[in-house]
Amino acid sequence: MTGMKEVREMSIEVPVEPPAEYESLFIPVPKEFVEDAYRKDDFIVFIGPQHPGSGHMRIIVRLKGDFIVEAIPDPGYVHRSMEKLAENRLYVQNIPLLERPAIMDFGNYNLGYVRVIEEALDIEVPERAQYLRVLLAELGRIGTHLYDAGILAVFMGHTTGFMWPFAVREFIVEALTHITGARITGSFIIPGGVRRDVDEKVLRMIGRIIFTIENRLEKFERVFIRNPTVVARLKDVGVLTREEAIKYGVVGPFLRASGVEYDVRRVESYEVYDDLDFEIPVGDDGDGYTRFLVRVEEIAQSMSIIRQVIDRIPEGDVISSDIEAISRNDIRGSFYDALAKITLPAGEYTTLTEAARGTLLFSVLSDGASNVPYRLRFVTPGWMYLKGFMESLKGERLADLQAIYGSFGYFPPEADR
Amino acid sequence: MKKIKAEKLGLTESVKRHLEAIGVVVGEVIVPSTITIHYPRERRKLPDNFRGLILFDSKACISCFRCAHICPANAIVMEHRIAYFPSIDYAKCIFCHFCVDSCPTGALRPTKIHDFVYKDMDEMVVHSEEMVETPEIVREDSFTVEYVFDGDVQLVKKKEKEELVPEVKPPERPPKVAAALNPENCISCRLCVAACPTFAISAKEEKTKIILEINVDRCTACSICNKICPTSTLGLVDR
Amino acid sequence: MPGMLEIMVQNMVNIPLIQPLVDVLLKIPVINYIVALILWRPIFAVLIIPGLGAIMLVLMIIVWWERKLTARVQWRVGPLEVSRPIGGVMQVMADGMRYFFQEVIVHRNAHAIYFIQLPILAFLPVLLPILLIPAGPVYAIRSDYAIPAIVALIALIPVVIIAMGWASNNRFAYIGAIREAFMYFAYEIPLIFAVLAMMVLYGSGDPFVIVEKQTVPGILLNPVAALTFIIATVMATSRLPFEIPEADQEIAFGPFVEYSGILFGLVMTLAYEKLYLMSLLLTILFLGGWNGIAIPILGDFMPPFWLFLKAFVFMLIISLLRSIYARYRLDQALRIGWSSILAISIISIAISYALVLTGWLP
Repeated sequence: MTGMKEVREMSIEVPVEPPAEYESLFIPVPKEFVEDAYRKDDFIVFIGPQHPGSGHMRIIVRLKGDFIVEAIPDPGYVHRSMEKLAENRLYVQNIPLLERPAIMDFGNYNLGYVRVIEEALDIEVPERAQYLRVLLAELGRIGTHLYDAGILAVFMGHTTGFMWPFAVREFIVEALTHITGARITGSFIIPGGVRRDVDEKVLRMIGRIIFTIENRLEKFERVFIRNPTVVARLKDVGVLTREEAIKYGVVGPFLRASGVEYDVRRVESYEVYDDLDFEIPVGDDGDGYTRFLVRVEEIAQSMSIIRQVIDRIPEGDVISSDIEAISRNDIRGSFYDALAKITLPAGEYTTLTEAARGTLLFSVLSDGASNVPYRLRFVTPGWMYLKGFMESLKGERLADLQAIYGSFGYFPPEADR
Repeated sequence: MKKIKAEKLGLTESVKRHLEAIGVVVGEVIVPSTITIHYPRERRKLPDNFRGLILFDSKACISCFRCAHICPANAIVMEHRIAYFPSIDYAKCIFCHFCVDSCPTGALRPTKIHDFVYKDMDEMVVHSEEMVETPEIVREDSFTVEYVFDGDVQLVKKKEKEELVPEVKPPERPPKVAAALNPENCISCRLCVAACPTFAISAKEEKTKIILEINVDRCTACSICNKICPTSTLGLVDR
Repeated sequence: MPGMLEIMVQNMVNIPLIQPLVDVLLKIPVINYIVALILWRPIFAVLIIPGLGAIMLVLMIIVWWERKLTARVQWRVGPLEVSRPIGGVMQVMADGMRYFFQEVIVHRNAHAIYFIQLPILAFLPVLLPILLIPAGPVYAIRSDYAIPAIVALIALIPVVIIAMGWASNNRFAYIGAIREAFMYFAYEIPLIFAVLAMMVLYGSGDPFVIVEKQTVPGILLNPVAALTFIIATVMATSRLPFEIPEADQEIAFGPFVEYSGILFGLVMTLAYEKLYLMSLLLTILFLGGWNGIAIPILGDFMPPFWLFLKAFVFMLIISLLRSIYARYRLDQALRIGWSSILAISIISIAISYALVLTGWLP
């Protein structure tokens, strides 16, 4: 940022017209912006959508020398119109749909949506099911943070830092396979509980998996997290102060990295989070490295939560007695009878969930008669912190774009929905 | 609240960290902790509840349409064979196994087969008769690998071929039968007679009234009559 | 021209291992010219070892080795399916084949003539230094100024890369070319200083003198110069953590972004070729050149063999860097180059003078 002031403002009349493609390709920048950039001898660079360091989105960057003056996001390349699709499906059929934005984090996404239905219908969830839901949510949180760490690493050219979290994530996937039967898209949490009970053997195995992950992350810490080149790339880069972070509506670990202690699990506790001991990591600096370290600490906290869940999980049913089911331990055989007929009473129901990347909002509007939502509003954390992400780019170098991108763990499919 | 603060990097700390990073990597070169499973020569051991290809038992199917109705991807279409049996379009299937969980008689059952290909889109629609037998898959694997976690992960290789079709017990469904719960509601439309897949319902006309006879032996408690009845006349009762 | 044959035969590489075969071949009419030409010392140096043949061998193995080593560190297995029984060594061949048959796209805005000829032209600064790099009795040109000349010729490679970036006429290529130019200045001066330090130490720019004086390898005499040289090599060959001009996640391979097919195959190998040249230079300056355990049966082939082996082992070790480090930012790399590396390169010259003045060297 300091370097920017040294660059002198210069204005020369360049007889160059912006290419006609700027208009014909539907690029979401005004013509004046392009012309102004051409006149001031700035450089407009399109990062994405076919760029190794952009994900499924385009960032239109205006450069002065090596410094970013303006960053305009062009999201929507992976927009799947989930809110509209959800209006044509039964309430229960929306479970697999709404977990798609962030597939690794399906536990939190299922949980958020299912809690809307439970809130509307006043379904009491058995305690064992609540513990299993927390287990899934936290496994997903670790998996997502590891995924983001891998993307951050590869954006900075650190291939080992890319491969190792993905390998460790494989153990999470192994745990999820044993619980849900699917590697990532679990669709496991249903209104009134979870689809089936998890036996003691699997729970003990998850305990050992957590231990293994801890061991392997120690190596990862030495090669990537504490690596001086990584520190050099991330420290004091993309700083969002506390005020800026609040102003731009940043959520989740990225808000906490700027010094705001806000976690839905504590503020508006759901499931059994009130009974579990965990700390909320909060950073002060609000730079890329703190954003990363906060998530690293969250992995440790999530592992601690999972250990507590395995220790404390009570015996009992996993499907609520409010639900019509053959067995209280397994929905098999009665899934249709129990859940296909769900109709919510008229009204609007909203839940907040702490997904891995931040606050996740589900809001369902029901007309009280149909078995599909009248309107479903669904705001993902990625969409919420896109503005903060773009603001933090300003004044940084072009090479920092990828580092900041990775430090936010921005995931276009999640933001675009 | 836990405060996160990045340490300041001095020269000695920096050199130490450089050496740490190099040390870890050199350590990996000497003793690698590879976790690769050489699929297809080796196959990973999957849990019995794995959600893979779906098999079908036509004898158990009661043509209740539950699978087709619950499918979130509209992948299941009921086709008329002996009765109405499901066909699955694997171009659409998302392997949520809502259908398997919905099937009241265990006619649909999960397998661990996750690697199958089709030549064209038409072939991806798998009809009920093709789902009865386990499809022939080319198996190049001679080892089954399992991740065993104790401290670190170990790849335990066994020279055996894993059975991909696990034994699945059908759900213990309480025996039920269709019955006219609210006979006074009947409007003599006879939709139930036409809809019953096992011809268990017959209607006898008696002057202005109609009398529904339900053959208890034939009734499979599929509750189609229940669903189709516009006036909620029919319902299920315990046998 | 019997005279020509005689000139060549008199100055032929003498390898006892294949001498009987050579004797037989020299009696056959036309073939004797070919054999004598190949075994003629200057041609042997440029064409076989440490020249073109060795470069090809290095390219074949180093790419595979780098991928395999990185995979080993990263809990993977690396290239394997092409030629499974021998651990996937043929992968490079398969890749080369793919590059060869892929369409070369010259996009509309590129300066087509330069765009196509530059990757081929790039071989010039790669092969010219080989003329001056001697391997004991196998050499092409002997000169007192060989070492400065090699450094000067190697320094031409970035110019070609910058020209490629310009000819590509692409934003990312342009940014990459600028970055290459910046990096060039950051490492070139410390590199020259490190070489200068060693020349001061040995009192000569002639590789023969330098190698002769290295009864103790130069890396032990002046480790600071060796460190400078190694870091400058890493920077010069744009390997991590200084893979800045090509940064694929940032600017999509920078100057090479528009290249495809065999042209990309050529430019991709450029960094490896440069690394090979600098490894040879490093071996001569710091690792005792072609000094090694005598293997009588190899005869004249022995010195090039040792030279090649030392350089190659250095290359194998340096490929480990890829799995250790993330990429520095351009300004950070420049700061490192212009401050700490430059400082230690000056210190290395001081060490050399101190060694010479105190008379530590024979």
